[in-house]
Amino acid sequence: MKNRLEEIRKQRGITQEELAEVLEVSRQTISSLENGRYNPSIILAFKIARFFGMSIEDIFIYDEVEQNNEK
Amino acid sequence: MKSESIAKYIVLSVFGLLILIVGLVLVKTLPDTTGIMRALPYICVGVGTGLFGGNLGTSIKIYILNKNPDIAKKVEIEAKDERNIAISNKAKAKAYDLMQIVFPALILAFALMQIDIYALLVIIVAYLFVSFSVAYYVNKFNKEM
Repeated sequence: MKNRLEEIRKQRGITQEELAEVLEVSRQTISSLENGRYNPSIILAFKIARFFGMSIEDIFIYDEVEQNNEK
Repeated sequence: MKSESIAKYIVLSVFGLLILIVGLVLVKTLPDTTGIMRALPYICVGVGTGLFGGNLGTSIKIYILNKNPDIAKKVEIEAKDERNIAISNKAKAKAYDLMQIVFPALILAFALMQIDIYALLVIIVAYLFVSFSVAYYVNKFNKEM
């Protein structure tokens, strides 16, 4: 799934390590999320959205065609 | 992170060391025995070594983590990290799929080698136990999720 996590994180001047610490996940998880290699659980998605004061849809982009191709 | 007590692991480690020593003493003092007494010293050495090593390692780990809360926090995050858990679960699922191939192949190989029928039956029962446990957990998680 595509997302704007890296862009938003950099806009706020936060490092991957700092974001990982706040969200209580590993730095590799943040890196994988940003690369679109890993889709977060709904709980982590909410945590990320709340941390940035945004909605989940503002950060994660759901592309139905892409999701169907992945199946 | 909640600091874990080291005492339990130290006690188990000492217990393992005692079993190991008893085993080594029995190996030296009972050289010409038959039946269970022939295997017992080596079982003691094996179990004792496992208990001693495993619990000593755990107690050292807990000691270091209790002294370094920062490292403890990182270890806890790594252990609870949802991606790490997902990776671990996926790896276990793949390993199970592989086992579904390896187990029957092994049973067939043992059958062709004409090993004792009881040994073969034990392996088949173990295979069936694992297969039925999958059905059990699928049913359980279907109800829970």
